[in-house]
Amino acid sequence: MKRHLTEEELIQHKFKLTSDDQAAAHAEHLSGCAECRQRLERLDQKFAALDLLREDVSASDELISQAIAQAKQPVRRKTIPFGKYHWLGTAAAVLVLGLTVFIGDFGRQETERTRSVDSTESERYTYHDRSSSRPELEKEDRPRLISKGLGDKDGSRVQLDDTATGRELATSSPPAPSTKSVERRTEDFTVDPTTRPDADISPRSYAFAPHGPGSAPEKKDATAGQRTSGLSTPELTDITTVARTETLEDVAALPGTVAGESVLAKISEKPPFAPASAIELVTLPRRDSVQLTIYNSADLTLVREKRNLTLKMGWNWLQLMWANTLIDPTSLSLEPAAQGGKIDVQQLVFPARLRELGRWLIRSEISGQVPFEITYFTSGLTWRAFYMGTLSQDEKKMRLQGYVRVANGSGEDYENAQTRLLVGKVNVLDKIADLAKRQYAYDRPGETPRSGGRSSQWSTHSVNGNFWFDSRRSVSEFDGLDLKEIKKEGLSEYFLYTIEGTETIPDKWGKRLPSFDIEDIDVESLYKYDEERWGSHTIRFVSFANDDEHNLGETPIPDGSVKIYGNAGEQGYLSYVGGTNIKYIPVGEEVELNLGAARLVEVEPKLMSFETENYVFDNKGNVAGWDELRTWQMEITNTRPLPVEIEITRGFGTPYWTLQTDALHDKHDATHARFETQLQQRSKKKLEYTVTTYHGRRQEQINE
Amino acid sequence: MDKTDKSLIDAHLQGDSEAFGELVRRYGDSLLGYLTKICRNREQAKDLFQETFRKVHEKAHTLKSSHFKSWLYTIATRVAMDSSRRSNRVRTVSLNSRAGCDGDNCPELGASLAEEAHDPSHEAVVAEQKEQVRRALESLPERQRVTVVLAYYQGLSYREVAAALNCSIGTVKTQMFRALRTLSQRLPDVSGVAK
Repeated sequence: MKRHLTEEELIQHKFKLTSDDQAAAHAEHLSGCAECRQRLERLDQKFAALDLLREDVSASDELISQAIAQAKQPVRRKTIPFGKYHWLGTAAAVLVLGLTVFIGDFGRQETERTRSVDSTESERYTYHDRSSSRPELEKEDRPRLISKGLGDKDGSRVQLDDTATGRELATSSPPAPSTKSVERRTEDFTVDPTTRPDADISPRSYAFAPHGPGSAPEKKDATAGQRTSGLSTPELTDITTVARTETLEDVAALPGTVAGESVLAKISEKPPFAPASAIELVTLPRRDSVQLTIYNSADLTLVREKRNLTLKMGWNWLQLMWANTLIDPTSLSLEPAAQGGKIDVQQLVFPARLRELGRWLIRSEISGQVPFEITYFTSGLTWRAFYMGTLSQDEKKMRLQGYVRVANGSGEDYENAQTRLLVGKVNVLDKIADLAKRQYAYDRPGETPRSGGRSSQWSTHSVNGNFWFDSRRSVSEFDGLDLKEIKKEGLSEYFLYTIEGTETIPDKWGKRLPSFDIEDIDVESLYKYDEERWGSHTIRFVSFANDDEHNLGETPIPDGSVKIYGNAGEQGYLSYVGGTNIKYIPVGEEVELNLGAARLVEVEPKLMSFETENYVFDNKGNVAGWDELRTWQMEITNTRPLPVEIEITRGFGTPYWTLQTDALHDKHDATHARFETQLQQRSKKKLEYTVTTYHGRRQEQINE
Repeated sequence: MDKTDKSLIDAHLQGDSEAFGELVRRYGDSLLGYLTKICRNREQAKDLFQETFRKVHEKAHTLKSSHFKSWLYTIATRVAMDSSRRSNRVRTVSLNSRAGCDGDNCPELGASLAEEAHDPSHEAVVAEQKEQVRRALESLPERQRVTVVLAYYQGLSYREVAAALNCSIGTVKTQMFRALRTLSQRLPDVSGVAK
């Protein structure tokens, strides 16, 4: 902080009213600013006046005993002499009378309204029974509405609209017996089994909607002005239990929760075309565990979730909504993790005209909770590696710290997810993001892009994560932290990093995880000059190998960006040296980091002479061949305080050349020669060579 | 080993008559000091002191957490504020106070202190400065004054003050800052005066 502290800032500093960062900045300024320190002392003196009132006040024994005695006396209740306020009685009587009239009127209106709603609902059911196509739409509306109320991105919390959900449950599931009005409504809605051939196998539908916090349904609720209340899982469990008890009553003859063979006959062999009724029970299966495998070469993440679903014996519908997420619906897979022989996931249906919604049809021979594994691809989760190298003062050693940043833009929070990062290039037919943005699940990607879809632009917040990749040595400054190990294993063509334990990656967040920290890597600093590639600049390189000799070589190094810093002094100040991107470095491979143009090491080539000789003439006396001799002088300047090694590449434009020089060189390729030399600190050096290039028939003569 | 506040409250709730007395003795001095600073006079502070402990006795069963101190100051602050509102409507004068000294303006205070002091002139200056500080404190809005007294004089952390005033730490810091900013302009210069 360069400016002086204001008096307000001094007050805040003195009384510790600032954040830690600000306090540190103020303290740093004060340590170097005598004027501000003087002003702070004056302020101290001023506030010292407050201490004048810091007198020792002692409560006398008498006062204490009085306080104790008074406290133990029974509380005196204040009584209002009613006769004194006789007008209060009149006001109260008027109020009571008014309320009675109002409530009576309101109750009558409510009864009428309920009757009206009931009749509407009955009509809907009647219509549904008559037709099999049109009611489909009616039925679809219901789960969608309920999902708005229940929608929660991770399944751990449920948002229930009190009124809407109560109505939904009352109409779609057997009611709680305690409320008489609900019982009456249920009686109204009871459908005669004779008019509903599938009534005895009425599938139970579940819905879980992994949409994010800013999902459209929730916004809609908000705009409608409906108050939603957050209910935690116990409430959800209660709802489920009520429904399950109901289900078990159907199979009361069965021991436990598993149906016997005799009951199998009750399950219709023919699967229902669609949910037979509106949702009987809507529940949000809790996500018990989740595993993410994030591929960095493509915008692709494999998600494996485990959720416990409560099934009833017979046909069950499980409804999945993926609104506002980037899930590829065609990749959805559902498998029972237990009771595999008794549960059959028959089909995944994408109902017509309904977007971002799918239903699984599950045939179950048992009633009760069953763990399921749901697998799907999503986009929006990415990870990227980046590295920080710190050169020692002599630039012969380097400390390399690797980090991985995992970012979640998938529209879905992943809590306590086991996270695996995959290095390697995978072949993806269609981009998952395009698949996710289809209007309907069965569209081709990119045909009808959804308006107002998710933008791929999203902000990230860096959060310090307590992760740790397995490294060859621990670093002292991290000793106190609970660092997570990241296991690494080869997987076919790929390499898999598994972060130890689980991690929560909320939507729109990024997390930076320390990957490795290796010290004392032997590095070579090399300057290169190649006019054809980099113009007149000298480029600085740092090179090392991913092998045992360099304290590396345990795993491949994923591609990413590298920033190199130099150690600028004893205090450990760092100076930025340069940065570059690196490609995937397999074990044993050498890596050369281009740190950009160097200003302190320069090469200046000068053409000292040019001659032609050895002319060859054809039969007509025309020139058919000749030699060109160029003498170059290269002045190399090193103004750094360290000796440097420099590699100079010179091109001659023809493969027919010879070189005369005392400088150390070799033939780099057909048209280039390469010189290598070393310079002491703050020194200059001159290299001189004469190159003879052969033209025309002279080329043939040289070859001969 | 001293019993914790919570254990004393629990004992009090179970009928231990000594436990409540122990609490009163434990916090009596600091509470009286607090009430004295935020009230207009000491007699009123004593009344509020008794009222506060009466409420503690009555509401002891509502204490859920172990932060008795914050809870006590919460009650004391409410009692003091209620009293302040009442006293704004009905002006009370302590019979024990000297004539013409109502707590706001006490012209004889400096003189009386000077009489009792060993170095009358010095003590008179100190008394005058004390009065200025008191006035500066009393000039603060009630919420700010309570915050300063709790945080500065009673030595409560900002977190405890927040708990006592049932607000966030940020609010406490804001109140504290505003109060100190005002005080910095109104406090007398006491350099060279022994405290």
